[in-house]
Amino acid sequence: MADAAIRVRGARKVYTIAGKPKRTAVADVSITVESGTIHGLLGPNGAGKTTTLKMLLGLVRPSAGTFEVLGVDSTRPSGRRRLGFLPEQPYFPIHLTARQAMRFYGSLVGIDSEAVKEQTATLLDRVGLADAERTELSKFSRGMLQRLGIAQALLGSPEVVILDEPASGLDPVGQRDVRNLMLELRAEGITVLLSSHQLSEVEAVCDQVTILNRGVVAAEGDINALLNVDGRTSVRATGMGALPVSVASAAEDTVVSGGAWVFSVPTSATRAVVDAIDEAGGTIVAITPKRESLEDYFASLLASGPKEVQ
Amino acid sequence: MVKRIWPIAAAVMTDSLRRKVVYVVLVFAALLVLAIPSLPDYGLGVESAVYREIALALSYVTGLVIALSLAANRVPSELEKRTVYNVLSKGVSRWEYLVGTWLGILGVMAGAIVAFTAVEMVMGYFTYGELMWRLWQGALATWLEMGVISAFAVAVSSIAGPVVVVTATLAALFLGHSRSTLLGGEGALALKPFYPSLDAFNVVNPVAHGSGVPLVYMLSMIVVFIGLVGVCLSLGVVLLGRRDL
Repeated sequence: MADAAIRVRGARKVYTIAGKPKRTAVADVSITVESGTIHGLLGPNGAGKTTTLKMLLGLVRPSAGTFEVLGVDSTRPSGRRRLGFLPEQPYFPIHLTARQAMRFYGSLVGIDSEAVKEQTATLLDRVGLADAERTELSKFSRGMLQRLGIAQALLGSPEVVILDEPASGLDPVGQRDVRNLMLELRAEGITVLLSSHQLSEVEAVCDQVTILNRGVVAAEGDINALLNVDGRTSVRATGMGALPVSVASAAEDTVVSGGAWVFSVPTSATRAVVDAIDEAGGTIVAITPKRESLEDYFASLLASGPKEVQ
Repeated sequence: MVKRIWPIAAAVMTDSLRRKVVYVVLVFAALLVLAIPSLPDYGLGVESAVYREIALALSYVTGLVIALSLAANRVPSELEKRTVYNVLSKGVSRWEYLVGTWLGILGVMAGAIVAFTAVEMVMGYFTYGELMWRLWQGALATWLEMGVISAFAVAVSSIAGPVVVVTATLAALFLGHSRSTLLGGEGALALKPFYPSLDAFNVVNPVAHGSGVPLVYMLSMIVVFIGLVGVCLSLGVVLLGRRDL
């Protein structure tokens, strides 16, 4: 097992407001993010994702728990100097230009002014804002601000990057760019903790996920292991007007679209199904382990999750 | 540490230069300075003293308006808009953020008070043919007092909105200049040394009517400034440190 880049143990946050009942935002969350991986943090609204991230970043005082980034207590400022953070819907001083904002944030991460200038140019180019570096942020669209947020998170070449809803406000091309960027970061050995509602994004890039629900960890692990349906194989075939009887009796979740048949069969029957389709004159296009969509998995998990957290 | 505090202070100063309120206050105050010599009822031989006294008062009010407008809004606005997340997540301590913000405000006030005092000097010279160097002593005292006031406002602003900050700061200002009134009686005399008085910064008499402020007194003013600012900012750091952002 690789070293942990982020380790959260027993995180708990209870908000106490005088005259009001206590509210538990996070009951008990433990997360381990391995170095050089992309780790997804999922959960419905109010699950405790953002509060957990804020505790990790020292923005919210935890009621209990330990929080480490690269082995250092991240609730202390010194523990955050090797990480970059993109807040959800990042805000910036709007009177600054993109370049001025980058230079300001760059000056805070402890790199010299020449390096700040260099990284500003490189990162603005990397997120597609090279042409807008002299534009005042008041004139930026939501998507441009999001891109700038990502760029500032990468200042100082952090070893760990925490992205809270990075695709929020981005068009499909922007979302694709962000996915590619995360994959590039992983290729560079940078650890990414991604909090997102966009399940397709998580499914596309994450190695591991932690799913939160009502302040506790509802599931965690390798995304393939979570989504693969044990004992069933997905088959995609074309060139048949109807499924052979022997196949039809074993097939489940059958969908026909554009002349292609997609269905699942017991893994033990795969050989026989392939032979039957072959004999019927059909063509096997793909055979893969049956995989549940993350949406379906997520919904079933939440439906069976704890009802109340205290 | 300085590497992180200075950019925050510089950002506050840069931001302030874009705020119209600073310029409006300065221009309005400068117009008032220009109008001082036209005031009637100057007694023979005391015109320049009256001019210095009113000039000091204008400097004080100008500094106060600028201090309040900057200190009351800066931190609450950054907390509300969450721009502070980008700062604190980069390993900046909350105390560094608060001190940097205060230093930025102090820098803006230094610029404003220097500019304003320069206008007063020029005006005084052309009107009375006298270089009123002592006005700079008054400017220093005003700047130091406004530094304390803005430190208090920044501290309160770490947990409250602008209206509460302005109200609390004006109350503190009033109390800070009411030691003699409130603790005048013999029964309360023992409390005097503990009263956070701002009277130390009141140098109107020696500057306007006397022969200036002695160097030792100036140095003692700086000591009071450091002490009061230290207490205010420490309080602010504790309050902000306990807050969930």
